[in-house]
Amino acid sequence: MILILSLICIIPFLLILSGSFSSNESIVRDGYHLFPTDFSLEGYKMVFKFPTQVLKAYGVTVFTTVVGTALGLFLITMAGFVLQRKDFKYRNAFSFFIYFTTLFGGGLVPWYIMLANYFNLTDTYTVLIFPGLMTPFLIILMKNFIRSAVPDELIESAKIDGANDFRIYFSVVLKLAMPGIATVGLFLALGYWNDWFTSSLFINNPDMYQLQFYLYNTMNTITFIDQMAIGTGITLSQDVPTESTKMAMAIVVTGPILFLYPFVQRYFVKGLTIGAVKG
Amino acid sequence: MRMRNKTIRHLSMVLALMLFAGVLAACNNGSGGSAQGSEQGGSSENKGEKVTLQFYMLGDAPKDLPVIESEINKLAEADLNVNVKFNYTSWTDWDQKYKLLLSSGQPIDLIFTADWTFYQSYAKKGAFLPLDELLPKAAPALKAYVPDDMWNAVKVNDKIYTVPSTWTEYVTEGIAYREDLREKYNLPKPESLETLEAYLEGIKENEPNMIPIADSNANHTHGIRQLTSKLVNTAGQLPYGLDIMYDTPSNITSYWGSAQHLEDLKTYKRWMDKGFFPKNVLNVKDTSNSLLQNGKSAVVLSGENPNKFNADVIKVQSTHPDWKLGYFPYPNAKGFAQPVHPIHNGFAIPRSSKNPEKALAFYEKLVTDKRYNWLTEYGVEGKNFEVQDGYYKMVGDAQTNGFPREGMNGWAWRNPEFMLYDKSFDDVLAIFKELDKMKKPDIFTGFAEDWTPYQAEKAALEQVEKQYLYPLNVGLVDDVEAGLNTFMEKAKQAGLEKIQTEYTKQWQDYLKSAGIQ
Repeated sequence: MILILSLICIIPFLLILSGSFSSNESIVRDGYHLFPTDFSLEGYKMVFKFPTQVLKAYGVTVFTTVVGTALGLFLITMAGFVLQRKDFKYRNAFSFFIYFTTLFGGGLVPWYIMLANYFNLTDTYTVLIFPGLMTPFLIILMKNFIRSAVPDELIESAKIDGANDFRIYFSVVLKLAMPGIATVGLFLALGYWNDWFTSSLFINNPDMYQLQFYLYNTMNTITFIDQMAIGTGITLSQDVPTESTKMAMAIVVTGPILFLYPFVQRYFVKGLTIGAVKG
Repeated sequence: MRMRNKTIRHLSMVLALMLFAGVLAACNNGSGGSAQGSEQGGSSENKGEKVTLQFYMLGDAPKDLPVIESEINKLAEADLNVNVKFNYTSWTDWDQKYKLLLSSGQPIDLIFTADWTFYQSYAKKGAFLPLDELLPKAAPALKAYVPDDMWNAVKVNDKIYTVPSTWTEYVTEGIAYREDLREKYNLPKPESLETLEAYLEGIKENEPNMIPIADSNANHTHGIRQLTSKLVNTAGQLPYGLDIMYDTPSNITSYWGSAQHLEDLKTYKRWMDKGFFPKNVLNVKDTSNSLLQNGKSAVVLSGENPNKFNADVIKVQSTHPDWKLGYFPYPNAKGFAQPVHPIHNGFAIPRSSKNPEKALAFYEKLVTDKRYNWLTEYGVEGKNFEVQDGYYKMVGDAQTNGFPREGMNGWAWRNPEFMLYDKSFDDVLAIFKELDKMKKPDIFTGFAEDWTPYQAEKAALEQVEKQYLYPLNVGLVDDVEAGLNTFMEKAKQAGLEKIQTEYTKQWQDYLKSAGIQ
């Protein structure tokens, strides 16, 4: 039963894979097949004919993912550690502040004005990293995890042994919270890897597009040409990728994270189960 | 002990902040071009010192944009002491970004406008600067170059908010069909509803693998409406099922629910039964043009304006030289053609602009100075394009050339006196010439609908349309008459009458204010 279910999950991916190896004409004429009827590499040729754009987008996404995840983990674990300490007088007030933002947000326009006009972050790498660094949900998750994984007595005994707060954070909390860190880290990394919205709003320079946005934008240009150009008469001179190219690009873009996933998955599952069993 | 703890706590906080600030600064340094630019722009407005104009375009930037930008900046610095930064929104969510750009108060000096980017409603809301007083001062040549009737046509509430493009083009649609198959099977030219049906029948009979009509989402209805009626709107897309004929614009009736509507729907039902549509027509994701270009379909009924048709011809010539495409413009059936309205392509200065005069002076150069115009429309001569016998010729191909023709999407500052066309464009110009003979002014696009009084009803009606009308349009409902009745009933529940009444009122007001009988 599980086997059948898993096979069903693979089918959509197989369709993309076979589409990427089919000739464009056969896709338009006969639609997608599980196995390519007319084998062709033209899609991949198109993608790698001018790989600089794809590679640049790759670079941006890898950079933001690595830096954002590292920085975000540091901040979130710090916040979680501080907020769960019972001797921190204002912990409830701070927690409330963080929790409050999940209930009431300013909305898109104030958010945009803040980042674009006050911080002047348009067209910077900062804007790709900064807004995603801390999420209330992840902070609360981390706080609860540290609370359950690191008993108060342990912190107290470390203190008696002469450790200051930093030493406790680095040597005790971080070591014990590893599964939690892996979980939150994966959330963060996936968030950064899949992010396209920030690019869409704040990045005007094509060299700084994130990978997902690069892909999304190429696809959208096609839709745009079909729907908008009808009544506008505008001519778009850019070269538009065809069906097989789109599929090949989807494979190239999702490939790496697919292979990464099984390796991280181990920690992910562990982190979730440890976080789930309270005792 | 307590004291020490406190200092450590303070110290650690400062340390964390510093760390964070350091990282941010490092990130900023990598790419801080834009922030620098806008600072320069703000501080030096009055003294006539160098400013950087923020220029916003729709779509994607061409690869060679930095080269063009630096060339333009060399010219602009010498002439006007300004620099320009060209920004692009990309086609993804451009409408949302456009809204944010205009509502956030971000300093922008020039922005693209068009009827399809809601020029009129933004102008009404005060997003743009009125240009009436600024024009003669900052850009006298531009003011003189654009004809007065065009300046009048773009006025909103009696003020000019945009600089219109002076190039006249037609985006009227037509039927594109496979001419070689027509000749091969001796079919009639699809130039009326009857001959179109006969042509489709012939294709279905002789080419059983083809699905004759290449349309998705029931778009063909717009085409058929243009083939069979003299609607006021070029694209045949009058909202809310209203009927406004060009010759009697003040007489508005409802097409939905009328005898004509029922008859049209019965036609579509017959077409579906004969297999002219694919069974899953409402889910077709392929573009109509790719279906035609790949030989899956023989006819495109909607969206095929002369430009798009020309693109199809070029594509087919390279992939299937033995095919031939034919074209029947709908204006031939209607008896008149409407060129695009002057608000169709333009540039406005948003309220947030810090240098409106310099912006306008720069835009004047873009339109009236050949050096600026050619650089931004065709790129660097010799590197991106060549002039051959008066025609535009691309250097290399679309893959290797970093700046194809009109690669900056500069439709708004086209200047007919400087324009270069690709040789293949002669066919389009020939069609335009034919359409010129039956030219009548566009009286529809100048009208700005204000849907705030019936916003909720409008949204509800759109749902009803998708659910009940689309299946009828592609003949998926067995009992057409009952289906139409259901649709009308649901539409009335959604508030169709309220919308139609209010829309009619607004339209009548517009006719009165524009002096149209």
